[in-house]
Amino acid sequence: MAMTAKIEGMEDISEMLTALEEEAQKAAAAGLYDGAGVMAKEIEKGVNGIKTAPFKYASRGGMRAPSPEEKEAIRGAVGVAKFDRNGTEVNTSVGFGNAGYADVAGKQKAVAQVANAINSGTSFMTKQPFFRRGASAGAKAAEAAIIKTIEQRLDEKNLK
Amino acid sequence: MPSEYEALVAALKLTDIPFAEYAWRSRPEGTYGVVSLDFESGQLEGDGVKCDRAWSASVDVFFSRLSERDDLISTVEEILTEICGDSWELNSTQYENSTGLFHIEWVCTVQDGGDA
Repeated sequence: MAMTAKIEGMEDISEMLTALEEEAQKAAAAGLYDGAGVMAKEIEKGVNGIKTAPFKYASRGGMRAPSPEEKEAIRGAVGVAKFDRNGTEVNTSVGFGNAGYADVAGKQKAVAQVANAINSGTSFMTKQPFFRRGASAGAKAAEAAIIKTIEQRLDEKNLK
Repeated sequence: MPSEYEALVAALKLTDIPFAEYAWRSRPEGTYGVVSLDFESGQLEGDGVKCDRAWSASVDVFFSRLSERDDLISTVEEILTEICGDSWELNSTQYENSTGLFHIEWVCTVQDGGDA
């Protein structure tokens, strides 16, 4: 035994749901953009706080601090990656991935590599975890910025 | 200084890996480690939840023979799990061309005074 049910007139609702998903994605992207900006600023503050010393090779078994040139190479280089969208999910990352190369004391060095060496340290350079510190300090403010922007956006569209 | 961090330092110093806190005055030959309290803060995300007091530390191990890698990793990760629960992660692995050393870095962020 079977019963067949048919509902008609779903086109309007379907269009409405599609529009809603598009708006939700736009709102999420706008929120993420603002949140990522907040996070990038916090990390940039960390870059400004990096302690340096004029470059000299570490003595055998010794350590050296990052040089002013290394700090300068990563200053202003924090960026937000291209957004990855999947339905209402939007992802990005904040970091030095797209920062390219910089001249450090006459040598071309990958900015991300210089940033990583300062943040994580090496066997001959003391670590200064500016990135983790900035990301931790900025997490709450970034989250607040994301929520505020999404709510504003949804308010504007009367979707709340 | 957070008591869990002190326990972490003590446990690492009991291993076969020579460990120093913050930095070595003179780097040892061969394999060695460094443990650092990187920061304590009022607004960190520790244990996957927002909290008002948390600390973050890092554990770095430098070594030159790849054959040592697995043992070093399991030694450090067992201690991190024991002291910090699941609030740690492998943050980076690097190879230093200029010294021929491998460098593995773990970080942990733990709610201060809370259960790890």
